[in-house]
Amino acid sequence: MVKKETYKLTAEGEKYLKEGLPEVRLLKILKKSISVTEAQKKVDNFSIALQWAKKNGWVKVESGKIIIVEKPEASDGVDILKKASAGDLTEKQMSMLLSRKLIKKGHDISKKAEKLIGKQINNLTPALIKTGLWKKIKLKPYNVLAKGKTVYPGKRQPYNQFLLQVRRKLMELGFKEMTGPMIETEFWNFDALFQAQNHPSRDWTQTYTLKYPKTGKLPNKKTVSRVKAAHENGWKTGSTGWGYDWDHEKASQLMPRAHDTAISPRYLSGFSGKVEIPGKYFNIVRCFRPDVIDATHGVEFNQMGGFVVAEDLNFKSLLGILKEIATKFTGADKVRFYTDYYPFTEPSVQVSAKHPEMGWVELAGAGIFRSELTEPLGIKEPVIAWGFGIDRLAMHKLGISDIRYLFSQNLEWLRNSKILR
Amino acid sequence: MPTLEISHRDLCGLVGKNMNIDDIKEAILFAKAEVEEHSGDLIKVDSKDTNRPDLWSTEGIAREIRGRIVSGGLPKYEIKKSGITIKIDKKLKHTRPYTVGAVIKDLEIDEDVLSQMIQLQEKVSITFGKNRREVAIGAYDLHKIKPPIKFTTVKPDGVSFIPLEFKEKLTPKQILDKHPKGKEYRHLLEGFKEYPIFIDSAGEVLSLPPIINSEHTGKITKFTKDIFIECSGFDLKFLVPALNVIVTALADRGGKIESVDVIYPDGKIITPDLAPKEFTVDADYVNKVSGLNLKPKEICKLLEQARYEIKKHGKRIKVLYPAYRQDIMHPRDVIEDVIISYGYNQIEPKSPKLVTVGSQSPKEDVSNQAANIMVGMGFQEILSYVLTNKDSIFTKMKIPVKHVVEIENKVSSNWCVFRNTLIPGLLEFLSKNKHREYPQNIFEIGDVVLLDETKETKTRDIRKLAAAMISNSVGYEELSSILDAFTANMGTECKLTRATHPSFIRGRCANISVKNKKVGIIGEIHPAVLNNWGIEKSVVVMELNLEKL
Repeated sequence: MVKKETYKLTAEGEKYLKEGLPEVRLLKILKKSISVTEAQKKVDNFSIALQWAKKNGWVKVESGKIIIVEKPEASDGVDILKKASAGDLTEKQMSMLLSRKLIKKGHDISKKAEKLIGKQINNLTPALIKTGLWKKIKLKPYNVLAKGKTVYPGKRQPYNQFLLQVRRKLMELGFKEMTGPMIETEFWNFDALFQAQNHPSRDWTQTYTLKYPKTGKLPNKKTVSRVKAAHENGWKTGSTGWGYDWDHEKASQLMPRAHDTAISPRYLSGFSGKVEIPGKYFNIVRCFRPDVIDATHGVEFNQMGGFVVAEDLNFKSLLGILKEIATKFTGADKVRFYTDYYPFTEPSVQVSAKHPEMGWVELAGAGIFRSELTEPLGIKEPVIAWGFGIDRLAMHKLGISDIRYLFSQNLEWLRNSKILR
Repeated sequence: MPTLEISHRDLCGLVGKNMNIDDIKEAILFAKAEVEEHSGDLIKVDSKDTNRPDLWSTEGIAREIRGRIVSGGLPKYEIKKSGITIKIDKKLKHTRPYTVGAVIKDLEIDEDVLSQMIQLQEKVSITFGKNRREVAIGAYDLHKIKPPIKFTTVKPDGVSFIPLEFKEKLTPKQILDKHPKGKEYRHLLEGFKEYPIFIDSAGEVLSLPPIINSEHTGKITKFTKDIFIECSGFDLKFLVPALNVIVTALADRGGKIESVDVIYPDGKIITPDLAPKEFTVDADYVNKVSGLNLKPKEICKLLEQARYEIKKHGKRIKVLYPAYRQDIMHPRDVIEDVIISYGYNQIEPKSPKLVTVGSQSPKEDVSNQAANIMVGMGFQEILSYVLTNKDSIFTKMKIPVKHVVEIENKVSSNWCVFRNTLIPGLLEFLSKNKHREYPQNIFEIGDVVLLDETKETKTRDIRKLAAAMISNSVGYEELSSILDAFTANMGTECKLTRATHPSFIRGRCANISVKNKKVGIIGEIHPAVLNNWGIEKSVVVMELNLEKL
């Protein structure tokens, strides 16, 4: 190996390589003479420029003016900088650049690396790689079988991860997501769904009531008066209605959303969003019911549901949609339908599917929204409503038997959770 | 949804056909029910329809199955007059103004009849009768009563009788204090100066509704032959179907129904009234809703199987339906019965071909991407309940208690208010993982509920992100660079300004703002707050409103 000093440009050197040396830039703006103050404005690093222009004997300063003495041959001085890194300079040029701190001595990386020749070493350094000296050294073998330190990657919460998959599947089936508030008026949670105020159909689910705030606002008069009429006498739907005096006050009461179906009338009526016909809609939302908390009842739970609206939908298409969703979610090829009841659908149905690992599972409840519900909200087409029990599937996927683990506060469990397949 | 216990043998007897358990599992769909479990002769049944009390007994289930697999048509019930009257006192106006009654004669009461009768009474009064408020049912041994019967009121200590399952006489007040049923249902009589009571002409008490019957007159045993039944409450709309459901079930057992005259201050009614009701459905509409291509004749046959009687055939079908049903309001209610007769599993599902484009809500989309940035920075996502308590979000955080959305009928005081911040959830999580390896970097993205007078629900859900770091030596700067990286990756730039907040150490807390709007807070948690949570290492936390980024 030939020993050779290497040089490289300093930051200032790099700058001048791009812009040209300051004294050369000064010379460029100088026709015959220029006032010092004006030149100062036009040239960066003016004092350096003037200093070196004088030193080179190019200019002199007389009574506040810079005057040309001798114009050198055309050069921007960049050549010299270019040559510097190649080490192609005369001693004089080199010492000039060194004194101006435009170049500095490069590290002689080979020197250090040479010391390692023939040795057995741990670290493969950049110098060894760059100089090719790695050919002359021996790298120590590692204990590649030793276990490393445990690393916990940042991760999504497993139940959320599951819900993301569910969302993706629904989007693949062409469903659009709806959202709604956690605190609802009874109007959207019950009345708009044709659940009578003084009737067991209202007690279909247990519900929380609020201590504060108590009362909300009802939507526009048109919607409210039609819903009222549907309850009292069936409005124009061909129904007898429930036959009682519908109470505005009761409908204005606020409550924590007890079921996800509360969102559907918000969209069907155009109050919270516009519905396209044909359209497929879904929601996955937190719901609240006063259940005693145990392995199968959490403090709160997520419900997934939605509706499909189109002309000419019927019970046969309802079964078709359910089968499609059930297959998509469980991989089951067999489904079975059960008679069922929901206060807001007629006819109603429940679907079970034969899950490849879980066996027969009750999956979804569904039905065609009652006319007393859809027509007052301004929808003439049949609307198929469906609600899917996802928590049991989630528990199966996550390998847990207690529903409370969906909201686990056990960091160890979260850290050890695996990807979902 | 009512859960019933029925006997396999009894069910087959009432249907009139032997069925094995698999047959029953299939056939019970006709009665909108499902077999939950079975062992030996006992079958546990989940009855789905909360608006069809007529299906909450072996008799009702058998009726539906029989219609489909043995013989259908309208069940016929004959009613004779019993000559018994119930006189209603106008004093009852505010306490319990209405009752309806009936007599069942020549009933052979065996184990099956007795257990089903008790179960049906209970399900009807609890599920349909709003836990006895709307419907309280009493059944009595007719031979121990001397009619006419009076429905009136007494002072809490105005009378005394032996209540069911007791040995000594008690006044109504003592019953409410001492008897298990009294304690269970006394809230239904709260605030009344006088209590409702059924008394016969000999002054013998029948019952104190809606609490308890008398041991002497109000106990049905295998030796009872003739029964008097009454249902009391506030609205005939509930009482009439409740009574009809019970008497028809007993008539299906061979009992003979007799009517009673109920004499109100303003007139007399005769109960039970089992006259069938009329309804009309259009054959085309049946096909439109069902998607089946049925001829009117086929529809009529399916309706008969569902216990309807066809009054008029053709495109417009006029039907009669039994008086125990009060759920038919719209042609759809009848159509469902047609489809049930047809058999849900006999229908070929046909998914409609609809061209729609799927999408998720923008809020979820942003949340998902935000979560991925946090994950990329090594944070573990956690998930907490929206429900919490004031101690967690105020007291433990050293924040003065303010108004938040609060539940009235809470099940647990741990979960009775809606969170308005995610930070306490993170601290609770850290407090439960003190023995896990450090450092622990966690985050949560979720909704908080804020009060907002301008909204229709007086509240607003806000999607927030909160993150916490805990280790032996965690510094404010570390989280602050996380914040910078996070907001930069969200495509915005945040500015910090000094802030004071009771939950954070003075001088180690800043407000986060984006485009001059406050979007969150970052800082080191105050040691007093750490003490409150039992956390023993220093914690830095940030919380951001994702909707404002």
